Amino acid sequence: MQDARLRILTTIVLSAGAFISLYGALATLAWWLLLTPRWKALPHPRILLWVMVMIAITSLVSELSGGEGFSYMVRMIAILLIAAWAYSQRQDGELLDVSVWLMGKRIGFDIGLTAEMGMQSLGLIKQDIQQVRQAMAVKGMKFSVFSILPLAANIVMNQLRRTEEMAKMLTVRGYIRGGEIEPHFHTARIDYLLALSSLLVLTTAILSYY
Amino acid sequence: MRMEMDIIVARGGFQVACQASFGPGVHMISGQVGSGKTTLALAMASLIPYQGRLDKEGVGDVLMSFQFPEHHITASRLDDEVRSWGLDPEQVLPGIGLDDRRGSDPLHLSRGGLKRLNLACVLARDPDLLILDEPFSSLDCVAKSQLCRAIEDRKGKITLLFSHERSVLPRVDTLSHVEYGRLIHHGTVPGSIAAWQGAPPYIRQTLQSGARPENITHKDAREAICRMRD
Repeated sequence: MQDARLRILTTIVLSAGAFISLYGALATLAWWLLLTPRWKALPHPRILLWVMVMIAITSLVSELSGGEGFSYMVRMIAILLIAAWAYSQRQDGELLDVSVWLMGKRIGFDIGLTAEMGMQSLGLIKQDIQQVRQAMAVKGMKFSVFSILPLAANIVMNQLRRTEEMAKMLTVRGYIRGGEIEPHFHTARIDYLLALSSLLVLTTAILSYY
Repeated sequence: MRMEMDIIVARGGFQVACQASFGPGVHMISGQVGSGKTTLALAMASLIPYQGRLDKEGVGDVLMSFQFPEHHITASRLDDEVRSWGLDPEQVLPGIGLDDRRGSDPLHLSRGGLKRLNLACVLARDPDLLILDEPFSSLDCVAKSQLCRAIEDRKGKITLLFSHERSVLPRVDTLSHVEYGRLIHHGTVPGSIAAWQGAPPYIRQTLQSGARPENITHKDAREAICRMRD
């Protein structure tokens, strides 16, 4: 899906649809199966497994304590799959484009810039984790509960250091608020189809709820 | 003890090939920033996947020093960080002037301080194969000279030195250069110095003057020029 505006709208609509009701979640899963690259848009299998296990444990606890654990599990899986699809389609700079298009060059630019920096940080944290794993391999260390705290602290400290450097760089370049940018979007026909079909999913979810 | 390889490493749309053999000694591998030195170093340390054959005959332990020393940190205290390398802080920290900061957070050290800590640890372990990725970055001239002596003192072991350092270099046994996605092995020193594509300016100037240095240090360049004048 090339148009970031329609993709973000579709993601919000489908997430809402999946969250509202079990039927909405099933319709979202069907949308994901039929209209996305499916497995190619998923995160690393190990990460996916961890997330699935956590969702399954929470669902089981909820089901055993009288809640709607099964419904929760299906809804969360649907939201997770849609989020993974949206993330896989993301291009650098498009959040800034969408934000400026939606809210203008002042507040829109600030929010877009913050969002872009957040997404960039996610990528850097992923690299940090990879580097920590390499450092442990070099030292012949095995991952343990006791090593989590210093490793996590190291990753947080690195992130804080980078944030400070970024803040200094923006200050040096004279950034105060807002900025000049002309957002450009390319909309393919399929983008409209995907967005419209997501509205059908939301309609299904609302109707089944009432 | 020998390391032989015929590998291709692909990383993020970038590819680098290497066909080489390294025995005991110091092997300088130069290359521009972004030429693929780090990718190759990580593959040689078996830290990233590669295609092909990589044999380490008679090589027991392998250690790699990363370009960015903060990537090595796995502990929140300096003494624990040294222990994470399997070393005694009493023996490592005084040598690099950090004995009074053993309780400090390693990430509160300067980049140069972290680099000295990391290099002190990998050198103290004295592995059979030591892979150093840009070991001179963030070091001052004094620390660079000390590192050169420590590298030269590693007798009977394999040291792979990936660097684009232009001023302070140790005496080496072979020269290689990474360019256009492949490692070009120039051969042993001094025969390969004239062909070395990654030669720093002082070596180039020495060669242009007609002198033939015995090795790649400043001292070798000076001596070669003096010999020519004599």
